[in-house]
Amino acid sequence: MTPPDMELQTASVAPSNVLPVDVFDEPVPRRTPGRGPLSTGRKYSNIFRASLKERMAYRGDFLLGTILRFLPMVTTILLWRAVYAGSGQPIQAGFDYSEMIAYLLLVHISRMFSSMPNLAGGIARDIREGTLKRYLIQPFDMIGYLISYRVAHKVAYIVTSALPYGLLFFLCRGYFQTFPDATTFAAYMLSLVLAFLVGFFFEVCVGMVGFWFLEVTSLLYIVMTLNFFISGQMLPLDLLPEPWVTILKWLPFQYMAYFPAVVFLGKVTGMELVRGLLAEAAWAVGFMILGRFLYRLGLRRYSAFGG
Amino acid sequence: MRILAKYLRLLGSLARFTLAREMAFRGNFLVKVSVEVIWLGIMLAFYETIFGRTKVLAGWRKDEFLFFVGCFFALNGLIEMLFLENCNDFAELVRTGDLDFLLIRPIDEQFLITCRRVDWATAPNVLMGAAVMGIALARMHWQFDPVRVMAFLATFACGTAIAYSFMLVLTAFSVWMVRNQSLMEMWWLFSSLARYPKEIFLGSRAEPLGFLFTFILPILLVANVPANAMVRTLNPPMVGFTLFATAILLWASRKFFQHALRSYRSASS
Repeated sequence: MTPPDMELQTASVAPSNVLPVDVFDEPVPRRTPGRGPLSTGRKYSNIFRASLKERMAYRGDFLLGTILRFLPMVTTILLWRAVYAGSGQPIQAGFDYSEMIAYLLLVHISRMFSSMPNLAGGIARDIREGTLKRYLIQPFDMIGYLISYRVAHKVAYIVTSALPYGLLFFLCRGYFQTFPDATTFAAYMLSLVLAFLVGFFFEVCVGMVGFWFLEVTSLLYIVMTLNFFISGQMLPLDLLPEPWVTILKWLPFQYMAYFPAVVFLGKVTGMELVRGLLAEAAWAVGFMILGRFLYRLGLRRYSAFGG
Repeated sequence: MRILAKYLRLLGSLARFTLAREMAFRGNFLVKVSVEVIWLGIMLAFYETIFGRTKVLAGWRKDEFLFFVGCFFALNGLIEMLFLENCNDFAELVRTGDLDFLLIRPIDEQFLITCRRVDWATAPNVLMGAAVMGIALARMHWQFDPVRVMAFLATFACGTAIAYSFMLVLTAFSVWMVRNQSLMEMWWLFSSLARYPKEIFLGSRAEPLGFLFTFILPILLVANVPANAMVRTLNPPMVGFTLFATAILLWASRKFFQHALRSYRSASS
């Protein structure tokens, strides 16, 4: 069984790309909204607010999930303790036991920012079923809409998960030997925001493939399954043998889990850190441009079936 | 006996029907299978990486642990193939009220709800897991021992039944918690307990947990006992306890499920 995406709770009932109804329930503006940056900002902040409300409506079922969420962490900690005990060596690939556990906790935070359940699948569905046209006839940009929607969901998700994760990190505080200094922490925050952007635009690109192929969920499954390993969610990439470490550190996937975690742990410093952040930003921009390009190209052959 | 035969026949027809349906979308089937192959590859890469660092993991040697990995993969594959998708659908049946259409049929509700469809795409997992176990046995030059094989087969079946019972209880919760998180996710989280040998539960804080999950909520018996019986020490009291726990759990989970069904209020039909 492949690991399910842990944010999927509302997936079946609220497909993420459906416009929340109350976007349109806002009081009718007395005058036609202008075209300035202010009204654009208001437009997207309305989308943001509506999505936030939608998201907070389903918080009740959180409890059982929260309890169960601790179990894999327990086995992971015990497994790595057995590995360190068995090897008889206190440091593996530059990670001591506490750092290893801290790393495995921190990738959860990375994934909180970079995982995008339903994004690519939603775009592909919009293309396939012809509902994409609502973005073409309404005065907002699809990618702009999706990113406001996604930021709202992320905020709600992070807010609702803050309690269980806060508890988890509190219980595991012993594994964090030092808290990073201000600069490192700022770099960590930046790397998380960039992780969100890399994850978002990467999935947008995958979704755009739907213009050319009717069925992208299969491609998506394969990508997501591979991503679980090559982004460093299961173990720090440094533990892998060459040439895999080098290859995987060239790919964008490490920024969705591995990179922010090692930044927090202070494993990447100085110029290396700057270079890493720049590369992460470059991947985000690269995927953004590619996504736009594919969207333009795709719209030319899009024929709005159905709907 | 006639009832058992009837249900077996029914299961056969359902399996044939779902196979025919699955074969109508062969491409989809192949993709699902290849995702599972990739996943097994990832598990093995993880295993190799770990044993690149240590020779023994909580008393399990490399080949023994490989057998454990195969055993868990096969067992989980069997669970997924027979039950997971059906149980996953249950929350939606409750939410929409479509459960009514299943309850009015003259068949046992638990059977109909949990065995309606066979997910053929995960059937190869059982074979892949068996292949991994076979490789592990060959590597350790395992001597054929009919007693061990019998014990393995029996406890493997028990492990499947224990996992099924736990899944049934998790499924039943969705009667009260409409729209709960997908069972798929809950099952992934819960079954992570069974993914590793129970010997890793070591130390003053972990041992009570190990005890809890061995004797009270015995999810740790699932892959541990069959793998132990086959490649490590065959411990007859443990095998006996597993048989006993299986019977208790099957009974208790059924009672719980029936209790949950009585609380079902057929809301939206």
